[in-house]
Amino acid sequence: MLFWVIAAILTLGASLAVLLPLAGSSKGTLSSGDHDLEVYRDQLSELDRDAARGLIQPAEAAEARAEIARRILRLHDVDTAGKTSARQGSVIARMVATAAVLAVPLVSWGLYSQIGSPDLPSLPLSERLAKNPADSSVDELVARAEAHLTANPSDGRGWDVLAPVYLRMQRFSDAVAAYRNAIRLGGDSAVRRAGLGEAIAGAAGGIVSADAQDAFEAALKLDPANAKASFYLAMALAQEGRNKEAAKAWRAMLGTLPPDSPWRGAVDQALAKSGNPEIASGAAAKGPDAVDVDAASSMSPQDREAMINTMVASLDQKLRQNPRDPEGWMRLVRSYVVLGKADQAREALNRAIAVFGAGSDEAKKFTAFAASLGLMATE
Amino acid sequence: MVETGHFALVLAFALSLVQTIVPLFGARLNNQRLMAVGGPVAITGFALTALSFAALASAYANSDFSVASVWENSHSLQPLIYKITGTWGNHEGSMLLWVLILTFFGALVAAFGSNLPATLRANVLAVQGVIGAAFFLFILATSNPFVRLNPAPIEGRDLNPILQDLGLAIHPPLLYLGYVGFSICFSFSVAALIEGRIDASWARWVRPWTLVAWMFLTGGIAMGSYWAYYELGWGGFWFWDPVENASFMPWLAGTALLHSAIVMEKRSALKIWTLLLAILTFSLSLLGTFLVRSGVLTSVHAFATDPTRGVFILCILTLFIGGSLALFALRASRLTAGGLFHPISREGALVLNNLFLTTATATVLVGTLYPLALEALTGGKISVGAPFFDLTFGPLMLPLLVLVPFGPLLAWKRGDVFAASQRLMAAFASALAAMLVTGLFIDGASVFAALGIGLAVWLVAGALTDLAVKSGAGSVAPAVMFRRFAGLPRSVFGTALAHFGLGLTLLGIVATLSFGTEKILTMRAGETVELSGHTLRFVGLYPAQGPNYSEDRGRFELIGVSGSPVGEISSAKRFYPVRQTTTTESGIKTLGLSQLYVSLGDEGKDGSVVVRLWWKPLVTLIWGGGLVMMAGAAMSLMDRRLRVGTPSRRRKQASVVTPAGLP
Repeated sequence: MLFWVIAAILTLGASLAVLLPLAGSSKGTLSSGDHDLEVYRDQLSELDRDAARGLIQPAEAAEARAEIARRILRLHDVDTAGKTSARQGSVIARMVATAAVLAVPLVSWGLYSQIGSPDLPSLPLSERLAKNPADSSVDELVARAEAHLTANPSDGRGWDVLAPVYLRMQRFSDAVAAYRNAIRLGGDSAVRRAGLGEAIAGAAGGIVSADAQDAFEAALKLDPANAKASFYLAMALAQEGRNKEAAKAWRAMLGTLPPDSPWRGAVDQALAKSGNPEIASGAAAKGPDAVDVDAASSMSPQDREAMINTMVASLDQKLRQNPRDPEGWMRLVRSYVVLGKADQAREALNRAIAVFGAGSDEAKKFTAFAASLGLMATE
Repeated sequence: MVETGHFALVLAFALSLVQTIVPLFGARLNNQRLMAVGGPVAITGFALTALSFAALASAYANSDFSVASVWENSHSLQPLIYKITGTWGNHEGSMLLWVLILTFFGALVAAFGSNLPATLRANVLAVQGVIGAAFFLFILATSNPFVRLNPAPIEGRDLNPILQDLGLAIHPPLLYLGYVGFSICFSFSVAALIEGRIDASWARWVRPWTLVAWMFLTGGIAMGSYWAYYELGWGGFWFWDPVENASFMPWLAGTALLHSAIVMEKRSALKIWTLLLAILTFSLSLLGTFLVRSGVLTSVHAFATDPTRGVFILCILTLFIGGSLALFALRASRLTAGGLFHPISREGALVLNNLFLTTATATVLVGTLYPLALEALTGGKISVGAPFFDLTFGPLMLPLLVLVPFGPLLAWKRGDVFAASQRLMAAFASALAAMLVTGLFIDGASVFAALGIGLAVWLVAGALTDLAVKSGAGSVAPAVMFRRFAGLPRSVFGTALAHFGLGLTLLGIVATLSFGTEKILTMRAGETVELSGHTLRFVGLYPAQGPNYSEDRGRFELIGVSGSPVGEISSAKRFYPVRQTTTTESGIKTLGLSQLYVSLGDEGKDGSVVVRLWWKPLVTLIWGGGLVMMAGAAMSLMDRRLRVGTPSRRRKQASVVTPAGLP
């Protein structure tokens, strides 16, 4: 509301700037000749000064004086000529004046209504951070916490709270710094070390680097049952191409994890994907990064299973359309085996062999691969 | 507050339209009321633009990330000074600063133009209004600084780290005051063409505006050069980079304009030429804006580029340059030429100056545009760098600089070269002595160094000679001489100071290029290095944390003759995490007029660091000369002849009387 009042006052002021001179009395002003005369008079006196200082020779000074005098005389002629041709053109003048007075509010309000955002208040950062936390967005709360920690950098609890939030917001490098501060100020713990490892891996685009592995190993030393650390260390194995060892580690996890652990879903998913050679080659994008894991772990077991089934079904569909993809077939067969759907696995294997022909190199590879999973092709 | 600023900007645009149309009609119809609208509207328009700018600056100062431009170019952790200067450290904000200065100058004409003929004043304000309208429209249509974000982000993307420097507070405002100051000269020229005649008061008004614009442009260029020198970390002060040329061309043309305006003001000669120069100078300013902002060039000045902006600026450029030159072609023949003079005279010298300066401007223009045109036509990239300009611009400047001291010593209308040469004997002798000393004792191998130093001394001594001759040195008693010296017009001091400053700048350039030394080496903590008689010890590399960056600061100790430290230099490599950018903070120690320049390179694995060292003798004179030139312009502005009174009605009655002194 206040904005509209200000806008109205400004418009009024601008309109007055146009209106007042138009309404003023039309006093007869001086013609340009008068101004010129003033200048010529000044030039004459300056000429005298220059001549006195020897900047111009007497003969030339006299010549210059004559030049100026001629200009003054000419001026007089022009002046009288100009005055007779002066006209008022009052109809046009009145139209221009009316248009000008109307143009100010019309152009400004018309244009502003198109491009302005009158409903958006100013949002200085300090005000946003000072308002009631209940009204704040997550971003604002984080900024508040950051401001607090900039002022009190030795508040270990603050870092402890902020670090996992950073992780969720995928601000991995901030998360790394926050976990390091939390460990420095609040002491070592398995949760902090594992979080640090996850943050380092996240910052590297999902690759579990040597630094991250060190962090996870430290976490396991502090708490051998830390699921996150075990999970990521297995992931590291998978990324190094040691798929069998990785799968073994994950399966071992399934044996020890409590039945309600959120990590079960992540492990299932990882096992489903572990046949994927892209993981083995270390491609980060396809690996279940922290977000995927988070997403999967926050689901109910039914939803999670549905999600995995959808993923496998879409792979199946893709292979029907584009069957000459041996890697894809192996991934599909493995997925069905991991899901415990032996019949479908066998069917997929048969389809794969059919695509490439029974005697082909691929078919032999498929058979050997299936055998390693405990599956036999049926004729 | 933000939206108030936005609304004020729109309102200022509406007023600029009124300012264009109403006074123009008023002048055509000779209607006093319509003409009177120009003044108050120009002043109100300036007030609204200032309000709009203040709103944007306050959004920057308070980190209001609901404003898109603040979000893109600011960060909450920046020091307050950089938050504020960040207002114009981006495309949108800098354009707002541009129109703020434009409306400011328009308001000055409105406020102090009472001694101008009414129609001239109305036309000038109208032309100023149309320039404003074009740029307001440009801002609102393609570069609106008040675009909002909803929901607002909580943190900004930080200002370009190279711009996080005090230089940003000084260089752009000065440069814009210069660029835009020439718009007034342009408006006066176009107004004269619209009227079809040049009033005598025209020149009286154009010269001070040229002086103001030239003064700020000189300062802006000098400051920009110094900024590039210390911020970019290569120790260079001028790169013949197209962006630098974009500011240098209006400077050269403006210098020519400054000199031709003197002739016009004093002798009413060179009217048409001065008018054309005024148009060309502002056109070159616009061309500079186009080159820098259209994305044709990539540089730190380009900010985010957007093709629509380039096309828009090109349209503005075509409208103003094409329009004013067309008007010139139509109307110039109606203007009357004035005052006569002999070839050898002050006027003649100033014409010569103009010939050299405009040719030099054309050279720089070709060197700047040719590579761009070639790239556009054939796709081939060529680099026209220092060698081209050394071969073309250099030889053009040489005779001009030799002739500079003669100009002020020649009399108006008919001068005497022989007498002037006699008076310059002392200056010539000192220049010759300087050349001999340079050639025999400092550097015998370099002809360039000897000639350059001689030329610089010639300029400096010539400027002093001018003052001495005009005070009557050698012919009158010292007391009289002193009295005369104190009584000299300010413009004489202005001329002498400006030419003196030019000599200083040349001295700095020649000394730095000829006698500067350079070393690149890897150093470990505790090692010492010697360069041109200065011993520097590397103390070590220390990490430190700034408000929005982290840095590795390399500390160096300057070792005196006795072996103990006499000073410290520190140079740093800064990392700004938000933009993931590294900058080099050079370490500079000023010793007298010379500087020792240290810049850090990459860090080796074994704790060693690449260090670049330069010894830059007399380098501060390059920019010091610029400051002296600015002082000269300021001095000239204070001259009494720029204060012409308003004709009063009483005197009008008496105007029939023939002025005294008429033969």
